[in-house]
Amino acid sequence: MTVPPEPNRTEPAFPSPAREDAPRILLVEDDSKIAQEVIEELESRHYHVQHEVSGAAGLAMGLNAHFDVMIVDRMLPELDGLSLIETLRERRVHVPVLVLSALSAVDDRVSGLKAGGDDYLTKPFAMEELAARLEALLRRPDNSRHTMLRAGPLEMDLIERTVMREGVPIELLPREFRLLEYLMRRPNQVLTRNMLLEDVWNYRFIPQTNLVDVHIGKLRRKIDESGRPPLIQSIRGAGFMLRVS
Amino acid sequence: MFRNELFRTATFRLTLAVVAAMIGSAALQFFFGYSQASVFEAKRSDMLLLREASILQRESPAVLEQQVRDRATDDLRVIMNVTTLFDAGQHYIVGDLHTWPTGLVADGRVHVIGPEATGGGSSTVLRMVALRVSGDRYLVLGRSRHMRTELRLMMRHSMLVSIVPTVLFALITGIILSHRALSRVKEMHEAIDRIMEGDLHERLPAGRQNDDLQRLAASVNRMLDRLEQLLDEIRDVGNDIAHDLRTPLTRVRARLDRALSAGHSAGALRNVISRTIDDLDQSFAIITALLRIGEIENGRRRAGFGMVDLGALMADIVDLYEPIAETKGITLSCVAADAAIQVQGDRDLLIEVLANLVDNAIKFTPAGGRVAIRARMDEHCAVMQISDTGIGIPEAERKAVTGRFYRSDKSRHIPGSGLGLSLVSAIVALHHARLDITPTRLHDSLPGVTMSIVFPPPGVVQPVN
Repeated sequence: MTVPPEPNRTEPAFPSPAREDAPRILLVEDDSKIAQEVIEELESRHYHVQHEVSGAAGLAMGLNAHFDVMIVDRMLPELDGLSLIETLRERRVHVPVLVLSALSAVDDRVSGLKAGGDDYLTKPFAMEELAARLEALLRRPDNSRHTMLRAGPLEMDLIERTVMREGVPIELLPREFRLLEYLMRRPNQVLTRNMLLEDVWNYRFIPQTNLVDVHIGKLRRKIDESGRPPLIQSIRGAGFMLRVS
Repeated sequence: MFRNELFRTATFRLTLAVVAAMIGSAALQFFFGYSQASVFEAKRSDMLLLREASILQRESPAVLEQQVRDRATDDLRVIMNVTTLFDAGQHYIVGDLHTWPTGLVADGRVHVIGPEATGGGSSTVLRMVALRVSGDRYLVLGRSRHMRTELRLMMRHSMLVSIVPTVLFALITGIILSHRALSRVKEMHEAIDRIMEGDLHERLPAGRQNDDLQRLAASVNRMLDRLEQLLDEIRDVGNDIAHDLRTPLTRVRARLDRALSAGHSAGALRNVISRTIDDLDQSFAIITALLRIGEIENGRRRAGFGMVDLGALMADIVDLYEPIAETKGITLSCVAADAAIQVQGDRDLLIEVLANLVDNAIKFTPAGGRVAIRARMDEHCAVMQISDTGIGIPEAERKAVTGRFYRSDKSRHIPGSGLGLSLVSAIVALHHARLDITPTRLHDSLPGVTMSIVFPPPGVVQPVN
């Protein structure tokens, strides 16, 4: 058994001040415990976090200052999360928004996305899940219309449905092709199992078996054949990453 | 307090109503009896008057005068109250009436004359007849209504004499019955108080009589039996949850303890941490599954209902599970129906059902086995089937497997939250569908199991918007 590689980040003992060019995040959440946890986690990852408690204050802040991403709880005092997002979109503020919601409101996912949210996370969530999804929102995927995708030594022809690593063709099943395409559009980015299930297979439940690991394993065996440096890496406690230089 | 309650019981109120009805019916009886009797009495008076008049009319004037004189004194006055002879000018000759009654016409018919018209000759209303008799005289006969008055007095008296004891008897009976009902209700109240204080084995007292109160008590007792059973089940589930959560947590603790006491290399510690996280993940999976079952059982998920194509669903699930089946050396196949089969449902939830069933099928089927997914129409019902050639489920356990945390002894070594089939049951119930569990019985050594989800005929499930 191989020991999973260390995550790329180092955990600082104390939150260090964010750098000037660090992404700015607006958190609108009335639950002080959750807010505290999220702020600590994000500051340890060198983000600037601005926290607002009420929907109205969050909206005012979102309209008047620039943020790279927003985290908005659905249930907020004064103005609920969805109205906040709708108002933002009406005023042509297109900052990506991650919507948070209680578990009992799974049905609300669709309405959350309809209102203008970009991603949806149900409470309680793991911090790694939140971080991975924020990262995904900050680095919008390469959804360009190019017919060729390139990530490190990998080349993907979307028309011919072929994949090559350093010029050597790799035979992939359609589902493996879809998975690899998703990874290649998001290189060097942590992708959680839930993100893969939701986005690649369009499933919204947590399977009993480690389904995603098996799919990744199959793909990895084809991509990272013996002797070559591994591209698909497991990130312990979080998910997977296609690491390319 | 108790006495006041007595008069507020339903039984006592019923008694009061009965008493009122009794008084009312006695009054009605009196009224109708009296009016019938008085009509009869008036007819009898008229007949008497006319007969008497016709007898007297035939007498000669002298005899008639003598007879009239006699009558003023003899006993016949009781029957014929007025007998008087007037001359042609309607002046008094002999008898007990001294002036001609105003308004009386000598036509031989009966007239009703008030007391004021007789010039003080009578104190009551009289029925009178006047007729010409020989000698150019007038004979006036009259009968007072004293009989009728007497009749009324008599009837009223007898009514009062009978109604008072009857009412008293009814009231006493009512009080006794109310008292008994009240003491039974009081016993029930006490029993309910004891139940509310937490004594769930307590039941309402069972009386001997098979009346409505008794039947109500029996119903309440049946309800309490069911509640107690449900509470026991919940307690069992609670114990199971505690046990299933404790197992991985105990492992976590022991492992961390060991890691702390002995010096380990960084790699070994990382290994300990990674296994610890696995155990914690299992605990989380159990909690998540429980919350999800609760959420589905609360029926909040009907909003996502729409038409779902079973064929597409099956293709998706095969795509998702094929690599795992392959890894385990199991053939996963999908047999679609000739025509597309659509059901009313929530796609995400149905995928979850299918995923859980296929997951189980793969888990409980040894290498070399087969798992097949089929969709077909049975009469008007869409049926989705997942068959495997695995260890199967013994008949005795088929009902229990959908219960929470049920795991057959044969499957103890296979990891899982033990909640997969509970989740499936909850989702199937939400779709008003049925889960049938039968053995596959192919020509293999193992019986296998076939899970069939039978959807209701179209039109039965209405989406809730």
